[in-house]
Amino acid sequence: MHNELSSKLASLVSGSNPVVNTPATVGDSSITVEAATILEVCKALKSEGFNVCQCITATDYADRIELTYILADFTKNLEILVKANLGRGDGNGNNKETLPKINSVVSVWNAANFLERECYDMMGINFVGHPDLRRILTPDDWQGYPLRRDYIVQEKYLDMVVNPAHKINSADHMFGKNLKVEIGDPKKVSASWKSNDADEIEDAKDGE
Amino acid sequence: MSSHHEPEDKILLGDQEIIKSDLLTLNMGPQHPATHGVLRVEIKTDSEIVVDAIPHIGYLHRCFEKHVEHLDYRGVIPYVDRMDYLGAMSMEWGYALTIEKMLGTEVPKRAEYIRILVAELQRIASHLVYFGTYGIDMGAFTTFLYCFQDREEILRLFEELSGARMLYNYVWIGGVWNDINDDQLNRVKNFCDRFEGELKKYHQLVGENKIFIERTAHVGVLTKEQCFDYGATGPVLRGSGVNWDLRKNRPYGMYEKFDFDVIVGKGEKGTVGDCWDRYYVRIYEMFESIKIIRQVLEGIEEGPVMGKVSKIIKVPAGEIYMRTECPRGELGYHLISDGGKTPYRLKVKSSCFTHVSMLPILAPGQMVADLVATIGSIDIVLGEIDR
Amino acid sequence: METIHLKKAIQPELTIAQWFKNVYYAVKSTAVGMGITFKYVWARPVVTIEYPEVREELPANSRSRLYNDAENCISCLQCAVSCPVDCIYIAAVKRPTDAPKIKTKDGTPIRLDLKQYTIDTALCMYCGLCTTVCPTECLTHTTDYEYASYTLASMKYDYLAPDIRAWRTRIVKS
Repeated sequence: MHNELSSKLASLVSGSNPVVNTPATVGDSSITVEAATILEVCKALKSEGFNVCQCITATDYADRIELTYILADFTKNLEILVKANLGRGDGNGNNKETLPKINSVVSVWNAANFLERECYDMMGINFVGHPDLRRILTPDDWQGYPLRRDYIVQEKYLDMVVNPAHKINSADHMFGKNLKVEIGDPKKVSASWKSNDADEIEDAKDGE
Repeated sequence: MSSHHEPEDKILLGDQEIIKSDLLTLNMGPQHPATHGVLRVEIKTDSEIVVDAIPHIGYLHRCFEKHVEHLDYRGVIPYVDRMDYLGAMSMEWGYALTIEKMLGTEVPKRAEYIRILVAELQRIASHLVYFGTYGIDMGAFTTFLYCFQDREEILRLFEELSGARMLYNYVWIGGVWNDINDDQLNRVKNFCDRFEGELKKYHQLVGENKIFIERTAHVGVLTKEQCFDYGATGPVLRGSGVNWDLRKNRPYGMYEKFDFDVIVGKGEKGTVGDCWDRYYVRIYEMFESIKIIRQVLEGIEEGPVMGKVSKIIKVPAGEIYMRTECPRGELGYHLISDGGKTPYRLKVKSSCFTHVSMLPILAPGQMVADLVATIGSIDIVLGEIDR
Repeated sequence: METIHLKKAIQPELTIAQWFKNVYYAVKSTAVGMGITFKYVWARPVVTIEYPEVREELPANSRSRLYNDAENCISCLQCAVSCPVDCIYIAAVKRPTDAPKIKTKDGTPIRLDLKQYTIDTALCMYCGLCTTVCPTECLTHTTDYEYASYTLASMKYDYLAPDIRAWRTRIVKS
């Protein structure tokens, strides 16, 4: 199905460069297209029968952001994953101009309206031509885009301290580390660690 | 609907700019009982008629998808529960299926049966909450008490099975946590027998009532085209007359072995796709669920309930998109794995999220009281919308 | 700004016969409903539990307050690793080789001295993953559900403290 569709897409939309990604072992195949032609590709796919836009999601890799459009055909019972790669842009702060840009597909499916807003809010992608591109899950004045890999939680939001020390139990987390210092021989002490504490995870791996 | 934020007409009075508008802006929620959670709807009304409704969501946002990046595959299940807390079993099952498909795990027969049993019981429990609270929205308090009493029986069973009333962590990767015993199966059987009769009475009490019909028929009509355009699924889509149920069209688990009908809205009391049709679909889905449960009770076989899963789960690199039919619509898990112990990215396609995005087309031209009926009929759970 | 009109339902024209039919149906359906409600006044068992005079007994494997029997704990850290919210804090020191050998209830030798075993129940989400991985079954969910408290700090249970160890006789099953 994917090969047929990709050759059809290549003929329908010039410059879309569809590439079929087949999984190495398990999972779903997908088609990667040029990001600049996404609107035309989506229009073509809709005329091919993909009448429902199920989901628009983005994944942050170190060098790029990969957008995935999950489309479904309810008459022929098919679904397809269409991918487009974007640069990462600058995801700090709250500036739309520095974000990677891609054409909005709201004109094709209205379902894309909220889905693109979520993508913008969580991953920081500027959907050009979206009628109402605002943050949807976080407040309008939130800084940064939470699902990016390099996202750091802001320390203060308005007058509130985000993650105050007494709520994240720093003292309890440090108990084991302090004990190691106290005993003098770190090999003698075993202690729990925070699952996002990178050094400790490394230590634990060495211990295995 | 695109120009929500632009004031309608600007008029200069002296050097002061005032907005010419006789529209009244009302805030419905976030602490409004009819919004079924922390949904805030900004409504613009012209006298009693709603001109525009803008849903504001995110009050329950906890960035589940970010949390998941730091959790092992088993640790995700309790988080998944907390999305649709009224249909947690179905949420877990969808997630477990996603991972099992990637791992190629064989699930024992008995576990498959138990999964279908709990998922269908969960569907009944979830629809009972819808039914009860929808009654309250429409001014009928009695059914709420009846429904919650029946739901309590299901929750009690779930508590005995899993240890918790709502957030179960029961369906695990490779099977289910605890086995179900004959006494419990017997109780399910008795419940089905009793509940089927009760449900007919409830339907007579509420659904056939003229006042209820007047409040819901012809209200909040969604056409087929609108449903596809906005990506609606589940009872909302079926209420608009589309015969689409993943349990039939794309069977997962063992659903292909079971005999049941897909309930489709027919516009019996009003137009196809109105609030009454969505109500009708949910009520009759409960009867179908009872049908499935009876078949489970007949077919369930002895055996283990947990398949072979390694102690540390490592999903092979790749991606998958898996859809399941949950009480509120289709739930999709899009998993991207890099071969590690934690998911690289897990995106959840929530049906309630797409349904709430339909409010701006549903609301205009309705009375404010009808908007309450409409929001109630699409049956949203904010935990799933905000994730 | 376009004007928005009230969405009028497309309904068949109301004839006098239809009007009377409607009235009849309304009265009939209401009467049927009232009949059902009336029957239920007696047909339903009383389900309300008059808490706190009557306390509900939770099912045996109900997941409520956590209790760690520190004497049987071998400090394997499995509970802390499996905890999705990182609310279990453990620190243990290797037992000196010349110390007397001790064993747990089920005969597993204890090689580490427990120095810290704290669970922040305010963070805990009662998923039950920690109790399932526990090899000596010293960490259990009890069926005790009455432990509301006034401060966040009092939700942090140090299972090595004597007052919390004293729960053992009160809340632990079997």
